[in-house]
This record gives sequence, structure tokens and C-alpha cells, in this order.
Amino acid sequence: MLKSYRNRNYKYILFVLPALVYIAILSFFPAASVVFLSFKTSKDVYSLSNYYAIKGSLLKATYDTVIVSFGALLIQLFFAILIANILIKSLKGNKIFSTIFIIPYGISTVVSAFIFSLIFAAVGGFANSTLHSLGLPVIDWYKTQYSSMGVVMFADFWKNTPLVALILLGGLSSIDPAMMEAASVDGAGSFRRFIHITLPNLAPFIAIALLIRGVSEFNIFALPLVLIGYHPSLINTLVYEYFTSISSVDYSYAAATILLLIIAAFAVLVIKLGGTSNYEK
Amino acid sequence: MKNNNIPSYILAIILSIIFIYPLYILILIAFEPISLTFDRLYPYQLPFDFTLANFESSIKDLSLITPVLRSIVVAFIVSILAIVLSTSAGYGLNKLSSRFSNKIIVLMFFANMLPAIVIAIPISVYFIKLGLYDNVLGIALAQELVVLPISAFIMLGGFRSLPRDLENQANIDGAGMISTFRYVIMPLIKVPLTITFLLAWMTSWDEFTYAIIISPLAPTFPVSLYDYVSRGEPFISASFALIVTIPVILIVVFLQKYLKGEYLTGGMKA
Repeated sequence: MLKSYRNRNYKYILFVLPALVYIAILSFFPAASVVFLSFKTSKDVYSLSNYYAIKGSLLKATYDTVIVSFGALLIQLFFAILIANILIKSLKGNKIFSTIFIIPYGISTVVSAFIFSLIFAAVGGFANSTLHSLGLPVIDWYKTQYSSMGVVMFADFWKNTPLVALILLGGLSSIDPAMMEAASVDGAGSFRRFIHITLPNLAPFIAIALLIRGVSEFNIFALPLVLIGYHPSLINTLVYEYFTSISSVDYSYAAATILLLIIAAFAVLVIKLGGTSNYEK
Repeated sequence: MKNNNIPSYILAIILSIIFIYPLYILILIAFEPISLTFDRLYPYQLPFDFTLANFESSIKDLSLITPVLRSIVVAFIVSILAIVLSTSAGYGLNKLSSRFSNKIIVLMFFANMLPAIVIAIPISVYFIKLGLYDNVLGIALAQELVVLPISAFIMLGGFRSLPRDLENQANIDGAGMISTFRYVIMPLIKVPLTITFLLAWMTSWDEFTYAIIISPLAPTFPVSLYDYVSRGEPFISASFALIVTIPVILIVVFLQKYLKGEYLTGGMKA
């Protein structure tokens, strides 16, 4: 009886197989081949020479990517917590607010980048036009590499905060309101309630949001490509830059492998720190 | 209690302005004569004039219509393929023991973490050999990777919520496998099917990395928009960008009530 049950159980893997095979062929296999090819040089010798050749720009791009990713993550997290805390209250007009807050999610990344390139134009542009009409000095948003990266972070914050806010809102609504009330009766102010009740209960959700957003943050490509091109290059744009010029295709494999490593490291870090986060049973 | 809410309102309004301002700018440049926006060093922020000339010129420009049509075709292939693969996967996963099915889901999401650009580069080399390079089917097959894990997860959720004995009962009543699926199961999983379809559609519509690497010469809309911007001719595409953005915003507003954390996090739970 048990055996027949097992057999019946395992035949259903056939239904899952198409999706799994699809992912294996188009995802795992290509990723593995990138790592393999990154060691191959034009003379068919396997060595680290691709990595050595681009060591300088790779380090710089990695450094810049880490700054942009963590910067954008922190801004997103901060504003997402604010938004989730607003939306959880039953304010009048909350429906309108939640609709407005979700709009960026529906505007495609390249269109967002396009709009922000008009707002933060190097000369003129809508942001400067605001400053100008207020009588303030205008700013060259791309004057330094860090200000350029700031523009990318801002655009990224705008595009992706809604997603983080939705995840955290899910977390907030799982907190028992009775707990809040009890704390309030015991005399805890709203700040102390936030620190001692909201944050600890929200922590696992923050870990999930960090994992999901962090991984995509290290992969940001369209935004920096449209907004700042290769000044400075982030890892993704660097890979693309090498890939699009025939003489340096080999280097793109090395840069891509490093990107793979960074993402793996980040995922392990968040899962270790998040501790409890796990897949649904 | 009322006083408590005032800071929240102020904050909500400030944030609303930040979130709506870029969309406002897009609408503004679409309807203003370019003499008031692109041609000025400091463009006007308020609607002083109204014109449909931008729309007319961008619609006349056939070079933009082809990429949009291409994007639509790609998005439909991606979402239909997502429905087929993930319905099958969700059905199977639901029947497997949960320990086993969780491992498969984790594996799928692990695949999702692999950077698109890392996968796109070797894939583009295979696709050249297979004739899928610069081809809508090629883009769709690659973009499918982005949506497949989340789709399978959503469909698994849909099947889990069905009563366990449903299929047996239908069998006893003499329904074959296909008619059971068509008449008994299908109507009950309409909602997850719709969400899967729309999420896949939107993801493909937005996708840029695979599209630019696998099909640079037959671009989808995001890629051709990038081409215009990098050539320094943004005004041609501005009103076009608005036309194609409005329907997607409407989809999102419609999806809003379903966009609860669980779908977006792919089932990772605290």
C-alpha cells in the first residue's frame, strides 16, 4: 500500500520536469559555462589572465556597485518602512495614497530611467529648472562620479520602493494590534512601540526584502546604462561594455563571474543574518 | 487620535508628490509643445499650453510602432508559456510531498538569483547558432526564465487551495482527465492564472537585459527607447512612452489587491 502510494507520488514529478529542464538548460548550464569560459584565453590556454587584465576596472566597478547597491537599499528600506507605517493606519484617503505609491511599479525601468534623465539633465532639466525658479544655483548632477551614482540611486529608490513597501506592509499587518494597544496602555510612546514591537516583528520581512531587492540591486543594468552610461561603470554595465566590443569579449566572462560571486556572497550573508527566514511549509 | 494622524498625512502627501512627479513630467512633455520643454534650458514645470502635435509625430514615426508591437508579441509568448509550464509544475508540485516540493521551489528561486547578464551572454551565442538571435521567440524564451519560478509558485498556491478530493470526485462522476481539468479545476484557479498571466506579461514588458543582448537589431520597446535616448533624440519617444505606460499602470492598479507580499516574495516566509 505504502509502496503504491509512493509510486503515485513520484509520477507527478513528470509535471514539474518541463519547468525544471527549462531552467537547467537555459539557466544553470549557461551560468556554469560563463565561469568555465572566464579562464579561457584567446590562445586556448586556461589561466587567470582575463582577470588580471581587467583587475583595476573590475575592482573599481565592484566598489561602485557595492556603494550604489547598499545606498539604494538603505534609502528604499527607510522610505518603505515609512510608507508601510502610513498605509497600515486606516487613514481617510488611504486608498488613493496606496494607488499613488504603487505607480512606479507600473512604469517600466527604461521609461523611468528616461524620465529621470530629463529631470536630472546635465544642463538645464526639470530639477534645475525648479532650483532656478527658486533663485537657487543650478547643479551639474553628473559633476563627480559620486553624484552620478546618487542620481542612479535616486531613480532606483523611486522605481523599487513600492515593492519593498508592499512586502513590509505584509509584515506589519501580521503584527497583532492587541500587542500595540497593550504597550500603549503601559505607557510606551509611538517611538518606543516602533523600536520594541514593530522592528523586531518586522525583522524577518526586512531580511526577505533585503534578499530580493539586494540581489536585483547588484544586477541593476538599465538604469545606470541610460542615466550615466559608463561614467562610472557598475559591474553590469562593465560586463556589457566588454561584451559589446569584439576585442574584449573574453573579459566580459571574467567580469560576469565576479558578479556571480558577489551575488552568491550577498545571498549567503542575508540568509545567515536573517536566520529564521525560510521557505513556506 | 485625530491629531496623531496629521504628521502621517503630511508625510503621505510629500511622498505622494515625490512618487507622482516623474509621471507628471512624462505627461507634461507629451502634451506640451517642445518649444516649452526640450528647447528651453530651463523647461517650464506647469502646463502653459496644450498640443497633440507630439503624439501625431510620434505615431507617424513607424520606427517606434514596430518595437512596441514586438514587445507585445514577446510579452504574450512569455505569459502563455508561463501559464503552460507553471500550471503543469504547480499541479505536480502540489501532489509531491511538501519537503520535496519545497526543495524544487528553492532550486527554482536560486536560478532566479543568477544575474540576467551572466546568462544572457552565453545564451546569445547558442541562439545565434539556433537562429533565435534577433528574434522575438529568442527574447521570449530567455525572459521566461525571469517569470517561471514566481509563476510556478503562484500556481502551486492556487492548486493547494483546492479541496483534496476534487479530482477523485470528478473521476467518479465519469469525467476524464482533460475534462476534469477543463471543467472542474480551471474555473477554480482562474485568479492565480490571471495573476500569473499579468505578472509575466508585465515582467516581459519591462525586461531590458535579455532583450538588448539577445535582440539588439530587432529591439523591443525598452531597447529602442534606450537607443533613442543614447542618440540624443528623446523628444520623439516621449509621448510614445506615455501611450505605452498608461495601460501597464492600469494593470498594476487592477492587480493591487492581489499584490500582497506573499506573491512578491515568492513564498519566503518569516
